Amino acid sequence: MIEFILDPSSGVATYQQLVQQVHQALRLGLLEPGDRLPTAQQVVASLAINPNTVLKAYRDLERAGLVRARPGLGTFVVGRLPRTDPAAQARFRTSMVGWLRSARDAGLTPDEIEAIYRTAFRDCLTEGVA
Amino acid sequence: MTAALEAVGLGKRYGRRWGLRGCTLAVPSGRVVGLVGPNGAGKTTLLHLAVGLLQPSEGSIAVLGDAPASGPAALARFGFLAQDSPTYPRLTVADHLRMGAWLNPSWDEAFAARRIRELGLDPRQRAGTLSGGQRAQLALTLAVAKRPEVLLLDEPVASLDPLARREFLQTLMEVVAAHGVTVVLSSHLIADLERVCDYLAVLVAGRVAVSGDVDALIASHHRLVGPRRDRLPANQQVIEASYTDRQSTMLVRSHDPVLDPVWSVAPVTLDDLVLAYLRQARDDAPASSPALAVAR
Amino acid sequence: MIRLAWLQSRTRTLLGAAAVAALAAAAAVTGIRLSSLYDRLVADCRTNCGLATARFLSHDQFLQNALNPLIQALPALLGMFWGAPLLARELETGTYRLAWTQSVSRSRWLLTKLGVNGLAAVLLAGLVTLTVTWWYRASDLVATDQYAVFDRRDLAPVGYALFAFAVGALLGAVLRRTLPAMAATLGLYVVARVATTLWVRPHLLPPVRTVTSLLHAQFGFVAENGSPVTMVATGSGPPGAWTLSSSFVTASGHVAGSAELAGFVHRHCAAIATPPSGPPGNALPPANAAAEFDACRRHAAQTFHLLVTYQPASRYWTFQWIETGIFAALGLLAAAGCYWWVTRRTG
Repeated sequence: MIEFILDPSSGVATYQQLVQQVHQALRLGLLEPGDRLPTAQQVVASLAINPNTVLKAYRDLERAGLVRARPGLGTFVVGRLPRTDPAAQARFRTSMVGWLRSARDAGLTPDEIEAIYRTAFRDCLTEGVA
Repeated sequence: MTAALEAVGLGKRYGRRWGLRGCTLAVPSGRVVGLVGPNGAGKTTLLHLAVGLLQPSEGSIAVLGDAPASGPAALARFGFLAQDSPTYPRLTVADHLRMGAWLNPSWDEAFAARRIRELGLDPRQRAGTLSGGQRAQLALTLAVAKRPEVLLLDEPVASLDPLARREFLQTLMEVVAAHGVTVVLSSHLIADLERVCDYLAVLVAGRVAVSGDVDALIASHHRLVGPRRDRLPANQQVIEASYTDRQSTMLVRSHDPVLDPVWSVAPVTLDDLVLAYLRQARDDAPASSPALAVAR
Repeated sequence: MIRLAWLQSRTRTLLGAAAVAALAAAAAVTGIRLSSLYDRLVADCRTNCGLATARFLSHDQFLQNALNPLIQALPALLGMFWGAPLLARELETGTYRLAWTQSVSRSRWLLTKLGVNGLAAVLLAGLVTLTVTWWYRASDLVATDQYAVFDRRDLAPVGYALFAFAVGALLGAVLRRTLPAMAATLGLYVVARVATTLWVRPHLLPPVRTVTSLLHAQFGFVAENGSPVTMVATGSGPPGAWTLSSSFVTASGHVAGSAELAGFVHRHCAAIATPPSGPPGNALPPANAAAEFDACRRHAAQTFHLLVTYQPASRYWTFQWIETGIFAALGLLAAAGCYWWVTRRTG
């Protein structure tokens, strides 16, 4: 069983935060197929959020094939997400550090580097959405 | 499906002043609806009209299709928690529950007793000696144990400390999860409602400035930052705009994605959105327009 | 709803009931003793009756002095402390928002609240009035002036109580604040009572008029502050009656004014017409003028008769019923107004 937390200042919609936290727990191995998610009532009681929000998050997860609701029993994990490969993580980190060094050597300030990173990140990762 | 709350051209006059005017609003059932607006916007007036404590001066309002408080049967279908959670100070907690049982045919005795136990309230304690948070919880218990289809709450958390506020909203959301009741709650602070509402109506100066599903509202509003320009494509409605000599910052409503590459597009928070509508309504008010005309 | 109305008025009703019980106990103990005192001292009195009466009346001075003001004030107190807060407190503290959103119509809520509390207030007033009337029964026999305590005995206070309670409820609903409603209730109640006593009650039934010869009537001569000596009628109706007026009439039935009477004295009774010398103030004719005085009286009897108007003692209960009826009707009218205001106007 996992416990949800909310970051009200993140600007991310509440149901998306719940979805992301389930994803993260699956990636980190905190949730395995067969585990039960907290009931809407339990989430509501601890976070004081709208139960419709919880149900919406669970529906999203169900559509993605990660969980399945069993009436009267609860919502159970049925799918897996690929666990992040530690070797790949190290490889990308090294190349990122190289890129940051070259930017600094070109005379960019840390603020400028961050602005470029943020814009590029948003453009690149929201391409598929917009 | 019948709207939980439906107002058409609703108005209420207090002497020569209108507390609410031209208010048209339809709230779907099964939702948790936030009624947001500054103090004096007409939130209390709207809710009092909905529960029959006030009679409209013009227009009409219906709760679940019934004229407000048209009889005991219509009264039994909604629960109302008035501002500052009124209770009888000299009656005990148990007396209040007894009152609820006597006056409401659909009274849920088991729920009421369990709530009071969970809240740790002493049934023999007089309501006048309860803390603000406890009184609010008692009043909420009374309204919920009536087993209404719609629960209307007027600024339920405004006078509570942060802990009591959180506990109150937890109770309320548990009730929604357990009984599927439609909730309409008002507040002058969007922060109070952000977590719990999935439908929002912004009330300014007696009118509804914007209303709709919260996710849909967030998805259809964008903050645009870019080089200064005064015109936008027709499908975008500017809610708020500010300019420097080089740059324009706008909050727009658009159902289509903003594709123009000169704009950097950012999502808006519910807070930004509500504030933009509040400012727009304030600037549109007749009293302030001459000053703006001079400034231009 | 009846149970809720009872729950809310429980403390007040029980306090009232306890006070009535205490009063009744005190009245019973002393009242029985007073009855036997009356039987022993006054009832069979043949000689020295004045002394016997004075001895009788010297008992239980405290209650003698306290119960009359109590019964006089009771309706006003019920109006102020029971009627006025009944709705004003709900409206003032906002609990009406709780009460009117339960599954009970506003009219049923109001009628039950008015009914239960009104009934309790009237019952309380009735018990106190009964106790007080019973306690004073011997004293009232001695005093022989039943109309003097008309508004403190028998039925009338119950009518006043109903009126004051309903007026308090109405004013509370209209003013929506407890203290102003209490003050307004007191004001309106006092005005209604004074106006009824002065201008309404004497005319409820046409008074009986009797004309008698001055030879058998009481009258006198008086000069005030140096003004000319004139005649005053001091005659009254039969024992136990309520005398409304007594005046001199001529043979033609015309009521003589004070100037006409002064002129008569001046013309026909010169010896007593000259005001005595000395400091100003009320003064009687000189004592040595007894013969002249008597002659003047006989002379006056040939010219004038004494007209007395009064309500006879036998009408006492009729007056009780009428006055009680008037105040009860006004009270019901106020309650109807309260109903109309709360169900139609509030909101």
